[in-house]
Amino acid sequence: MSAATPRCAGWLLATPALLGLLVFVALPFVLAVVLAFTNLRLGSPLPLEFVGLEQFRRIFTDPAFTRALLNNALFVLVVVPLQTLLALALALLLQRRMRGRVVFRTLFFLPVVFPLSLIAVVWVLIYAPGPEGMMNSFLALVSGGAWDARDFLRDPWLALPAIMLTSLWQGAGFQMVILLAGLQAIPGELYEAAAIDGAGRLQRLWYVTLPQLRNTLIFTVLVTTILAFRLFDQVQIMTRGGPRHASTTVMFEAVQAAFTRQQVASGAAMTVVLFTVVLLITGLQRRVARQVREVA
Amino acid sequence: MLCALLLGGCSPGDDDKTPGVTRLSVWAHAGQAAERAVLTEQAARFNAGQSGIEVDLTFLPERDYNAQVQAAAIAGELPDVLELDGPYLANYAWQGHLQPLDTWLSADIRDDLLPSILAQGTYNGRLFGVGTFDSGLALYGRRSLLEAADAAIPQDPEDAWMAAGFDALLRRLASNDPDGAVLDLKLNYPDEWFTYAFSPVLQSAGGDLIERENFQTARGVLNCPNAIAAMGRMQGWLQDGRVDPNLDDAAFVSGRVALSWAGHWEYRRYAEAFGDDLVLLPLPDFGHGAYTGQGSWVWGVTTHCAAPAAAVRFIEFLLKPDEILAMTAANGAVPATGSAIARSPLYREGGPLRLFVTQLAGGYVVPRPQTPAYPVISAAFRQAFADIRDGAAVEEALDRAVQLIDRDISDNQGYAPAPAP
Repeated sequence: MSAATPRCAGWLLATPALLGLLVFVALPFVLAVVLAFTNLRLGSPLPLEFVGLEQFRRIFTDPAFTRALLNNALFVLVVVPLQTLLALALALLLQRRMRGRVVFRTLFFLPVVFPLSLIAVVWVLIYAPGPEGMMNSFLALVSGGAWDARDFLRDPWLALPAIMLTSLWQGAGFQMVILLAGLQAIPGELYEAAAIDGAGRLQRLWYVTLPQLRNTLIFTVLVTTILAFRLFDQVQIMTRGGPRHASTTVMFEAVQAAFTRQQVASGAAMTVVLFTVVLLITGLQRRVARQVREVA
Repeated sequence: MLCALLLGGCSPGDDDKTPGVTRLSVWAHAGQAAERAVLTEQAARFNAGQSGIEVDLTFLPERDYNAQVQAAAIAGELPDVLELDGPYLANYAWQGHLQPLDTWLSADIRDDLLPSILAQGTYNGRLFGVGTFDSGLALYGRRSLLEAADAAIPQDPEDAWMAAGFDALLRRLASNDPDGAVLDLKLNYPDEWFTYAFSPVLQSAGGDLIERENFQTARGVLNCPNAIAAMGRMQGWLQDGRVDPNLDDAAFVSGRVALSWAGHWEYRRYAEAFGDDLVLLPLPDFGHGAYTGQGSWVWGVTTHCAAPAAAVRFIEFLLKPDEILAMTAANGAVPATGSAIARSPLYREGGPLRLFVTQLAGGYVVPRPQTPAYPVISAAFRQAFADIRDGAAVEEALDRAVQLIDRDISDNQGYAPAPAP
């Protein structure tokens, strides 16, 4: 009895949160899975029918969706390592005691605070086509006039990289802050000991900072991967998936299907695929990270 | 500001229910501030002008208006009177959310309406909605630049430029232009613009978005040889650099281009910039007549409404010439009735925007297809247009759109109309 009461109380106290999770997280997800096997159209008076794997067959034969999956993969492969490295570099720079450190931290963190839609609109202007566009004139200046003005967001080769650059600029500040916190948690004695042992700066970075920062790094890589798979705002505002699907993503295609074309079932199938992919990849990352720890 | 207006619009509705008074909830899109102000005043005038009906007005943001209304429809919480975007009318009617108005709307008003308003509001042979204004689409041009390029200025849709002549004119204009981009197609506008503004090109070429007999297939209509040729011609303008990307929406007013493919809403800004040098011209004729766009917001009565007669009285109030003129003075659109047009300084005979009335009343417009498949048709055509703009093979792009449209129609069993309520 005395053992059961606290357990009961525990469940009782957790109930509001659990209910919230159930209603707002579990239920929509289960619904999405169920709907992916139906023919649901937004607001249709026709009876709901189960169509088996038809929606999945369709999205995998849709060149826009397969291109979206590929783009998502490319985006993750490029942005996650680059953004993590950039954030680490910024964090290492800003960790040192120097004048104006707070100002720089604030500046680098600022893009994270701005709404993504605002940032996307600003970058549309930066990528303006023609030689007067900010990015074009900057590249012309840097290259000594050798750069030919390009229409970045309508160029099949440059649209996705343009979005990647925007995302890097916007997202790096967030990881920087997390990594900074991680850096500050590293005990100073370790560096002192390393210095006494005659370790140089690079060696201290390699043998002290990085191993100590391991868990923080794993966390930031995981979070960045998940956020990268959800890429949507920049695509919606900057390129609308174009030109010819060169910059489309799974989220963008799902929103197009469910809300523009009102084909909810098709959109649900796309999100289920996305969820599965993200689950597999984050699972893989965790497993690799754990194995490394065991070896170490 | 929206909050203040909402409160202002709703305050009479917050009182306790008065017996003998029919209360109507009304949803409208929050357009420009001037439009909101006029509609708020109109609701107040209607409430003050009679004692049997009390209108309670709510504005919803324009950006996601359709999505919000759809959500409300699924939740069974639609208002009595609903403003909706014209091309979505068939969708709502098919879903069974709208009541036909034919039996309620007075014959006098009906006969006074522009044919385009009736066409837009009709689904499956019945009238489900009426607008108090319509939209106009045409070319705005700079007379001085056109005359310098030896262009004859057409006065009427009948003598619109033929497409080949238009090509040649673009070339001549380009030779007088520093960057060669002489045409503004409002490429900066969001999604629906592309179907609104460029599906008339298909009709002018002898094609269409879909066959209009039964709305069952786009095959052989959207991808017919004439439609492919017309879209190929537009692709030519884009690829030859004749079209300004117009990122700043100032291509025309800043003098970068000689021609702007745009709607009635640009008149004020354009006239301010160029005064007498501004001319309004019909769109080019791609072989089967100079067709152009139409359609705007319409009022409908939902199946949720228990007092359709009262709801229609409110709509009829909004259709009074004075009320139409108050609204169109605020938003610049084409008044929906002949009697209001006759009193409109912009649109009456000899007015600077008379061409829009000629187009709407003279059969030079085709409504966007009144079928529940419209959201898919529009999405498919927009994608095709975007691909064509980006250099895709025109035939392939249109074939893919046809596939998307036809599959959606068969998925929904032909969108057979629900039996009349």
